[in-house]
Amino acid sequence: MITAPLGLLALLAIPAIVAIHLFRRRFPVRPVAGLFLWQIVRQTPEGGGKVSKLPITLSLLLECLAALALALILAGARLYSDGERAHLVVLLDDSASMAAVNARGESARDRAAQRVALEVDRLGRTARVTVVESGERPSVLAGPAAFPADAMRALEGWKPDAPHHSLALGLRLARELAGRTGRLMVISDAAAAESPSDAAGNEAGVLWVSLGQALPNVGILAAERTLSRGERGDAVTLALGNYSDRSARPRVTVSAGEKEILVRDIEVRPGSSSVTLPLPSGLPAVKVALSNDALARDNEVLLAQPLPRTVGVENRLPDGRGRDALAKALAAVAGVTSAESGHLVFTGADALDRPQPSGAWRVGFGRPPASWLAGGEPQDFVGPFVLEKRHPLLQGVTLGGVVWAGAMPLAPGVVRPLISTGDRTLAGLTSGSPRALEPDVVVNLDLDRTNLIRSPDWPILISNLIEMRRESLPGPERWNYRVGEWVRVRLGRDPKGPLRLRCGGVERTLPAARLLEFIAPSPGGLLQIVEGPERAGGSEAVVFELGVNFLDEIESNLRDRATADAGRFADVAALRAESGPESEPLFWVLLAIGGLAIVSNWSVLAPARKQG
Amino acid sequence: MPTSSIDWTAVRAASGFRLAIPRTPIGGRLGERLGAGTGSSLEFQDYRPYAPGDDLRHVDWAAYARSETLAVRLYREEVAPRIDLVIDVSRSMAVTDAKHRAYGQLLGVLACASTNTAAHTRIVTTAAAAPHPLQVPEDIERFLDCGAGHSALEESHLPLRRRSLRIVVSDFLFPHDADDLVLRLARDCALLSLVQLTLRDEAEPAAAGGHRLVDVEGKGELDLVLDAAAVREYRARFSRLRLGLSVAARRVGARFAYVVAETPVRDVARGLAAAGVLEAA
Repeated sequence: MITAPLGLLALLAIPAIVAIHLFRRRFPVRPVAGLFLWQIVRQTPEGGGKVSKLPITLSLLLECLAALALALILAGARLYSDGERAHLVVLLDDSASMAAVNARGESARDRAAQRVALEVDRLGRTARVTVVESGERPSVLAGPAAFPADAMRALEGWKPDAPHHSLALGLRLARELAGRTGRLMVISDAAAAESPSDAAGNEAGVLWVSLGQALPNVGILAAERTLSRGERGDAVTLALGNYSDRSARPRVTVSAGEKEILVRDIEVRPGSSSVTLPLPSGLPAVKVALSNDALARDNEVLLAQPLPRTVGVENRLPDGRGRDALAKALAAVAGVTSAESGHLVFTGADALDRPQPSGAWRVGFGRPPASWLAGGEPQDFVGPFVLEKRHPLLQGVTLGGVVWAGAMPLAPGVVRPLISTGDRTLAGLTSGSPRALEPDVVVNLDLDRTNLIRSPDWPILISNLIEMRRESLPGPERWNYRVGEWVRVRLGRDPKGPLRLRCGGVERTLPAARLLEFIAPSPGGLLQIVEGPERAGGSEAVVFELGVNFLDEIESNLRDRATADAGRFADVAALRAESGPESEPLFWVLLAIGGLAIVSNWSVLAPARKQG
Repeated sequence: MPTSSIDWTAVRAASGFRLAIPRTPIGGRLGERLGAGTGSSLEFQDYRPYAPGDDLRHVDWAAYARSETLAVRLYREEVAPRIDLVIDVSRSMAVTDAKHRAYGQLLGVLACASTNTAAHTRIVTTAAAAPHPLQVPEDIERFLDCGAGHSALEESHLPLRRRSLRIVVSDFLFPHDADDLVLRLARDCALLSLVQLTLRDEAEPAAAGGHRLVDVEGKGELDLVLDAAAVREYRARFSRLRLGLSVAARRVGARFAYVVAETPVRDVARGLAAAGVLEAA
């Protein structure tokens, strides 16, 4: 196969060589005894018009052979008839539903591997394959432009287990890798038309191959482990989804380590339902598993033992309706306990100019200290109130119908306002010293005269205060997460050594900071935050243990999976320049022949030149 | 390669010659010719004072009577001359059948002359091989193969004998310095004779148009138009070559003869005699 026909023009060198040989041999041979006597005579230029029979010499043959070989190289001769290498770029849907198996134990993943192999066979053994795995962060499984054998080897190790995600990012990467020479194929278990979020579904030049199969499936959609006070023990609450038309009766197994805690057959009706399972108190992380069905990925969750962050509260308000209202509001908030030197101290605002106890936030109600006041009398306000809505303290607070009583005028700059009306600050945070980590909250309000404590905003405000404080305590926000969720863990102190994250087969270093933020890694499982040296024998300590689980309603629902092909490959030029002619065996053969012919010809002619 | 055929009938008809012997003494074993040293011939050479042990028969008593001094008569020695016949067996001597045939005839004449000289004759063809004795003229035919890639004259150490008669036969068509070549061949010899044989076409080529000239000894090839200018230049060079040999020969007291191929044998013998190479037997 000739890939550069213009290169065949170099074949004109062959008749040129023949012509040279034809004309340079025109003189009759005359043997002489003393050639040296003729050699100073002016030599006649070679060439002329007299044509005689062409002598077939070794030199002529070698020169023609070299010209032929070099012309074929220039013409881009290829061994194979297809010559051009097709480049197939495959985007694999890495969502967990691709691993759902039917009654024969066959999954969409298996069919995808077969389809890729079929496509590679169709394109020929010279084809190149690039395999891209979709996901929130798409990655290249094989390639770019790998040999088919390498691509198939990579496919063998492919295990789709990602939560539901858009294929758009993967498609963008695949398009970049395909360029103008690649044929793009997307393999998913969802039909192209049913992927409106993926603009790829209807894009031109993409062959969308759906290899899914509608299957009944029961999966865990959500799981929560709760602690209860008293002797009732803990509990696990599961939200289950039965994506079929008939009730299912899976077996639930709860285990802690190697020990089975509970085994129970439950009936799950079509649609969503929940089930609560009792647990003994004080168990470490427990695993809850459903019996096998089409999709194994959603049959199991691991729930870490929650260690709630209790906020210690100290109520130093003077007796009266304000103190009572605070006590009532605190009683309605979970995770709060009364303490002598608590995390949160409710006190009169006039005490806020005293030194702040370590580790305690103070909330002052009433008349602020005299040094903070500007000149003027206390006033009552009915609105309108300006609220700093972005501050977590005021989330859900509206102050509708509230009479803000006894607000004293404050000196400017003393308090950063959160609630104000006109030019008067009604509540805010003390500026304090820059080094003070715990701010004081000033509520410039006479609790005995205001109706705020009877409004719905009061418990909200108190709850927000509690939760703000709770957020600042060491520990994670939650103890169990979904794969891909952001996890925030407050260490509460400077780390004593390097921090690492360990979850299943994933282990990576975390930045040494008081606040750790990371994405719950796939495939999930028990996530440990470890502090200390990594080397064996080092004194590492598990700081926190969290549960990371695959909980994905969309992936658990296998009823809308389909098998169909949509779209077609784009008409593209084949991959040609990426590998270059040097990868073609014929190139090297021709180069060797040409080089050998030139060298041989030179060695053949060299003695004659020397003698001449 | 052309085959050798010497017309011995013609050669013998013209073989009334022998090699010319110089008047100066020559070297050789005991024989018929006067040698360079003192010997027992009848030719008086010199006197010297008597010494005990001298043959009393050689005492010149007449001189003793006149001078009362004992003196001994010395006589010249008689030797058989040594002949080294150096022949060129390169391919150039057989570049054509005519040249090869003429070469055979010439060597036949010289072989006959050598045997007529009653000398000890050896044929020298190369420095690498031992010379071959020439017993009868026909022995020369064994050396007419002419297949060597170069002439023996181009070799530096030919096995030549001291005080020998040397006859060198070649076309001398190889690059050389005539003085050096002749001086080397004449070293320690009694007499050197150079005989050059060429075709007439080699001496006086005619304009013949374009030809590829190929050296028969594999020394290259040359595309050339043999026009008048080229021929004129060649002839001048050939003349200078032949003249150089002649002059160099005269400088060392050697004889030089030039033979053109296809000349009748008798004329060849006469030409050699005229050049002093041969003399009437």
